[in-house]
Amino acid sequence: MTTLESGSIMRPAAARNRTRNVVRLQFVNTQTFLWVPALVLAGAWVLTILIYWMLEGAGVSGVKTGGGSQAPLWYFLVVGIQAMTLTFPFSQALSLTRREFYLGSLAAAAVSGLGMSLLFTFLGLIEQSTGGYGMNGYFAYLEWVWERGPLAAGLTYFVLTMLFFILGFWSATIYKRYGTAVLTIVLIGIGLALVGLVALVTWRQAWPEVGQWILETGSLGLTLWAILVSALLAIGSYLTLRRMPA
Amino acid sequence: MDSVIEVRHLTKRYKDVLALDDVTFDIQRDAIYGFLGRNGAGKTTAMSILTAQNLPTSGQVRVFGEDPYENAVVLSRMCFVRESQKYPDDATPRHALASARLFFPRWDQDLADDLVEEFQLPLKRTIKKLSRGQLSAVGVIIGLASRAEITFFDEPYLGLDAVARQTFYDRLLTDYAEHPRTVLLSSHLIDEVANLIERVLVIDGGRIIMDESTEDARAQATNVVGDAATVETALRGREVIHRESLGRVSSVTFLGRLDDAERAAFAAVGLDLAPVSLQQLIVRLTQQRTPGRDTLAPASQEGTLR
Amino acid sequence: MIEEGKPLFVQIAEQVEDSIVDGSLAEEAQAPSTNELAAFHRINPATAAKGVNMLVDKGVLYKRRGIGMFVAAGARDMLLTERRREFALRYVQPLLVEARRIGLGPDDVADLIRAGAEPATP
Repeated sequence: MTTLESGSIMRPAAARNRTRNVVRLQFVNTQTFLWVPALVLAGAWVLTILIYWMLEGAGVSGVKTGGGSQAPLWYFLVVGIQAMTLTFPFSQALSLTRREFYLGSLAAAAVSGLGMSLLFTFLGLIEQSTGGYGMNGYFAYLEWVWERGPLAAGLTYFVLTMLFFILGFWSATIYKRYGTAVLTIVLIGIGLALVGLVALVTWRQAWPEVGQWILETGSLGLTLWAILVSALLAIGSYLTLRRMPA
Repeated sequence: MDSVIEVRHLTKRYKDVLALDDVTFDIQRDAIYGFLGRNGAGKTTAMSILTAQNLPTSGQVRVFGEDPYENAVVLSRMCFVRESQKYPDDATPRHALASARLFFPRWDQDLADDLVEEFQLPLKRTIKKLSRGQLSAVGVIIGLASRAEITFFDEPYLGLDAVARQTFYDRLLTDYAEHPRTVLLSSHLIDEVANLIERVLVIDGGRIIMDESTEDARAQATNVVGDAATVETALRGREVIHRESLGRVSSVTFLGRLDDAERAAFAAVGLDLAPVSLQQLIVRLTQQRTPGRDTLAPASQEGTLR
Repeated sequence: MIEEGKPLFVQIAEQVEDSIVDGSLAEEAQAPSTNELAAFHRINPATAAKGVNMLVDKGVLYKRRGIGMFVAAGARDMLLTERRREFALRYVQPLLVEARRIGLGPDDVADLIRAGAEPATP
């Protein structure tokens, strides 16, 4: 058999293929990566539209926006958790390195997240051109997010999905490596740090400056900051996974 | 000697358990090993470290001359089939096999298809819903069809009935004959695998207590039955590893080989010699060691009935 | 089929020898390959190979490059001579040990053997 002869020595190309194949491995979970996010998105959209329609019927004619579009983003937290807990042990049985698994999983999330943000952008464009489905109701088109155009808005959605994915992935890694107690402590720690930050801003009476900064930075600027945060989290996540026993 | 795996002073400590205690051994190329020992002896830990799924506390592991940790080139030449392998939630056997095909360079799809048929594995049912035996079959098929240069089978037969196990042994042998490779087979069913394995590696209490050819291991111990006093006299100075008695007759297992003259001498005083199966030998050897002790109990003086 | 106590490869070799002695494997005929022996007896191929090599060393089998193992000319006579030589040790000695244990002398044993052989050769 020829496959046998070529197998012993692995060429670098084959090594790159392994990382790419992790994307295919993750998409074995079509439910996790494809159907459930699509369902969450569709469900949130339908509910939101129904509510707008009722409001419209009740004579509320102002600009209507809702938080429904957050739901699919939050779901990426779950995607991150499942990519870790369900597929990591199997990846080890397939003799993958942790690095290959991690990079491949990020790539898989990026594919899924890209699809999600394209849908969002597409919905936003429709809403923009139809004046919110003709009832001034907006699901994906949030003025503040769209102030720098559809590309920037798409980027914002994409970065958010990745941020949530990495957060989910990292917490699952911490949970699997150190257990519930440590994960809880880490989460409480993050909570405390945020509260501390709020307290600090309040104490220094700096809220107007903070508000000013957010406005000046704009959604695109904040997105760029989110990329930085995501990158840092991604590195932390990898470092946690790197020496984790399967 | 052509070793594919070299383990030196490998120690693995979990919080309060010493799973591997300064273990040193080599695995030779293209041999089938029986990796034997009781539950919790350290077999799974050792195999996890060899496949870089777990990390040693101290010591060194070399596979194909390199550290396997995060080493894609080395890892892709190995396959580790775990007893309790987890699969993605909604994966089916078809998914699992298709995934394995992506990552094992020597994967043989025809062999996989063949085995699926032989084990009557339902390809489209989700793995969560498979029976224990079918779940084991998924692992066994991946292990055989991957044709990895080093394949680890950790108790691969759970839930497989006698017929399916025989299928596994037969397929392993015939495929190994055509495509020689290194196989580490961890099993409790020692009698079943005794004829398949070329070498035995026995681990007990985190230490290697036997590392030799199956042939030599089998010849290591003999059982003698006869009048208790006669047996005692005949065995003076030999290392006894097991002793049972019924009235004045005792049955004693001892270590060491007998030449023809010695055999004749035993027979002349009316003692019956019987071979000791590999399973009996290993049971005796691993029974002897009490937890927490790391040397062989001085059985020759005290016997083992305590 | 496989008994404990004797090294496996010796048992494999003896079974091949049995076939040669009883004529089912003729001289100059092709002997079973290592892999065939391994699959048939469900043993490790290395063990089977050891048995085959033992027969080659003994001159019972010889190798034809690229084809396989064959039974050597004169192998049957050689094995017969060897087995007759070993007969006393392998069969008569244990017989006498058991005879002594149950109080039978060599003459009693000889009588029993003659009696046992009687119906076969009237």
